[in-house]
Amino acid sequence: MREVALFVTCLVDQLYPQVGEAAARVLGRAGCAVAFPRAQTCCGQAAFNNGFQEEARTLARHFLEVFADAPAIVAPSGSCADMVRGWYPRLFADAPGLSGLARSVASRTYELSEYLVRVLGATDLGARFPATVAYHPSCHGLRGLGLLEEPLSLLRAVRDLRLVGLPDAEQCCGFGGFFSIKYAALSGAMLSAKIDTIEASGAEVVTATDVSCLMHISGGLSRRGSRVRAVHLAEILAES
Amino acid sequence: MPDCAPRIDMLRNIERALRDESLQRQMAKAMPASRRARAEAAAELPEWESLRSAAAEIKDHVLANLEEYLARLESRVSALGGIVHRAADAAEARAIITGLARSHGALRIVKSKSMTTEEIRLNPALEAIGARVVETDLGEYIAQLAGERPSHLIAPVIHKPTEEISDLFARKLGTPRYERPEDLARVAREVLRAEFAAAEMGITGVNFAIAETGTLVIVENEGNARLTTARPRVHVAVMGIEKVLPGLADLGVFLRILARSGTGQRASAYVSLLTGPRRPGETDGPEALHLVILDGGRRRLLADEAMREALRCIRCGACQNECPVYRHAGGHAYGSVYAGPIGAVLTPAYEGLERARDLPFASTLCRACAGVCPVKVDLPGMLVELRSRAVRAGLAPWRDRMLVGAWTFFTRSPARFALGGALGRLAQRLLARGGRIERLPPPLAGWTAHRCAPVLAPRPFRSMWRGPRGGRG
Amino acid sequence: MSQERTLTDLFTERAGQAGVAVIAVGSADEAAEQTVALCRERRVRRAVLWDAPDVALIQERLRAAGVEILDPRARFETLAAAEIGITGTEAGVAETGSLVLSTAPGRPQAVSLLPPVHLALLRADQIVADPAALLDRRGPLPSALVLITGPSRSADIGLVPVLGAHGPTEVIVLLIASPMA
Repeated sequence: MREVALFVTCLVDQLYPQVGEAAARVLGRAGCAVAFPRAQTCCGQAAFNNGFQEEARTLARHFLEVFADAPAIVAPSGSCADMVRGWYPRLFADAPGLSGLARSVASRTYELSEYLVRVLGATDLGARFPATVAYHPSCHGLRGLGLLEEPLSLLRAVRDLRLVGLPDAEQCCGFGGFFSIKYAALSGAMLSAKIDTIEASGAEVVTATDVSCLMHISGGLSRRGSRVRAVHLAEILAES
Repeated sequence: MPDCAPRIDMLRNIERALRDESLQRQMAKAMPASRRARAEAAAELPEWESLRSAAAEIKDHVLANLEEYLARLESRVSALGGIVHRAADAAEARAIITGLARSHGALRIVKSKSMTTEEIRLNPALEAIGARVVETDLGEYIAQLAGERPSHLIAPVIHKPTEEISDLFARKLGTPRYERPEDLARVAREVLRAEFAAAEMGITGVNFAIAETGTLVIVENEGNARLTTARPRVHVAVMGIEKVLPGLADLGVFLRILARSGTGQRASAYVSLLTGPRRPGETDGPEALHLVILDGGRRRLLADEAMREALRCIRCGACQNECPVYRHAGGHAYGSVYAGPIGAVLTPAYEGLERARDLPFASTLCRACAGVCPVKVDLPGMLVELRSRAVRAGLAPWRDRMLVGAWTFFTRSPARFALGGALGRLAQRLLARGGRIERLPPPLAGWTAHRCAPVLAPRPFRSMWRGPRGGRG
Repeated sequence: MSQERTLTDLFTERAGQAGVAVIAVGSADEAAEQTVALCRERRVRRAVLWDAPDVALIQERLRAAGVEILDPRARFETLAAAEIGITGTEAGVAETGSLVLSTAPGRPQAVSLLPPVHLALLRADQIVADPAALLDRRGPLPSALVLITGPSRSADIGLVPVLGAHGPTEVIVLLIASPMA
């Protein structure tokens, strides 16, 4: 049995606990023993992306301590997994005590769909989700981790799910962490373009690997009074 | 001089751009078309990825041996009868070129598209000595008529709808109000043919300079660069130090990626390899050839290990076409010569981070640019680096420091994280209605101006977790 | 030989896609005949040709057909009055459909640049695979070596492609089958 430490991410913990529940259920169904290290908080990505590398390092150090011994760390977020995998080794490149640990933790960290498909080789997890669904490939999952086929193959295996294409799918939704506050109007214009394509796709549900993008998209959908729901990939895979 | 120029207010520029409906319409049409063209052209070559790597490697090799290749280029160009001038900065470059116009008695000047001459603000300096300078690339000519700066590396007036150009021609050239681009282009061709006929000096940029042969390579679609270099008796070519390539074999790699990345063409209509001035018995080409090699902050960038690879840039414009921020903001919002992701890296390097502090932050870090850059410049990585430098230099605004400070305070330990969640749940009682928040107070008000904010769940995940689970297979 | 044929096909396809009219001819004589016909169709009264042996036959036939032949060494403004410019080529590039022209005395850039129509002769055995293949085996360079891919164009106004922005609106290649084929 594979042991997995779930890193739910700060946003899931506080805003979308059901996504954490779903991720745990899906990993369990795939045959993993799932642990939740309670000391976890945030990977530091938001501070890092905004230029505050010292603050990010503080949070990253905490993350490394919490997950130092985890055999595999799985997060329902492409951008957090990419932060750990892509940036932690660079953040600690000059820290003699931590550079090895940062590289090792980085090599054990996965996004959920990536872990299911690439590591476990599982695509059909027995889910059933009767709805028309469009997939938005989140930027950091797509271009940081190279994930596209993995989430799509999981969705294709879900019973009664009708997958529809999203025009210009690979376009960013405009979130970008603090960017969405600093350049709120520009971020809003990008969001608006994304929502246009979601509505044009005919989907009832838009899904992604990241709650951050979904939070942004969902905020735009509800502001527009749209009927389309934003649902995390883990939630779809956990339905039966 | 650049250091005391006022700060570029990107936020204000963007908000102005977002209100400009014709700009938004134009960009919404142009950008997806440019992206598609590039993607198709790249997909056609199975060896695309290895070409990108080869191009990046060649550029890195040149940058690691730059002075040697520049010396070789200089000696080859001189041996061919050209004259090489080295300019440390924009002011020196302007002085050299205005001096050449004077000494050659060549005050009728035609120019073909050159970002480097934009960078050194050459035209006003030439006009100040009484020269008549005419841009001959169609887009640049339009920008010059409009008194604007080009907004894109290869499509200078991509932001301008045709009707506006029609009005401009009617106003400035007294033409009828032509609606079709071909009529407007014909007018420009006629006007510019007369300029070429009278020109005494032609000024061009340089896409690549070959050290081994002393060859200057100019890539274009219109033929105006060919006219600019074939007709006037003096040719002044202006290049940044990073444009040098070792040999002709290296050029082959770049010719295969440049046009495909820029316009999505397999090849631009004209690639001119110019080797020395006119030779005995020839009837066109310049009698005098001058090559001005500009530093302009590039050696400083070269010495900056984390940022050096920005000097690989071949000015194809792919990162601009791909960038969703550029798409909405337009090139002028970047407040300088270079716009888009590469501009957000080069402007801080050439004009100072203090002046350009906003630029690296105006990005979602979506990395679309990195995927298309033909020389694999890690643009998102550099934006992150510049952001961190801005923060360390104390250039981050108060609001950022407060937000990040609060975030870090509440996430650095599980106890504080729980406390932060609890405080948030208290606060949102005042704000949440029906499972969402319609309006947040400053400094978060921007978020809810354009979308609803989510509410914190009644209980966080950590308090719902019932211990290890799973393993049923 | 089969590779040469492939390169010829690829050149023809790619040059066509770049807006070049590629006309296959069997011999230099046929090329000259075709040129006279093309000039007649376009009511050409003045032509300028490179001073080169490969276009000498064309020049003779055009003159016989009553077309005024301008001296390629004439002034820019004079050459701009020609309705067609006729050149040889040094090579063709299959991947891009490009023509490669070198300047020399009597072969100025003006001939392929100023008139609204540029007609070039190309022999099939001059076609190379791609720009790298062209440049890798290059000997001494002329003062100007130009790769020409289709007519002069611009999409600067409204992203609408316009031909003849500054140079020719029409590029025609007479592709002469190699003697071996």
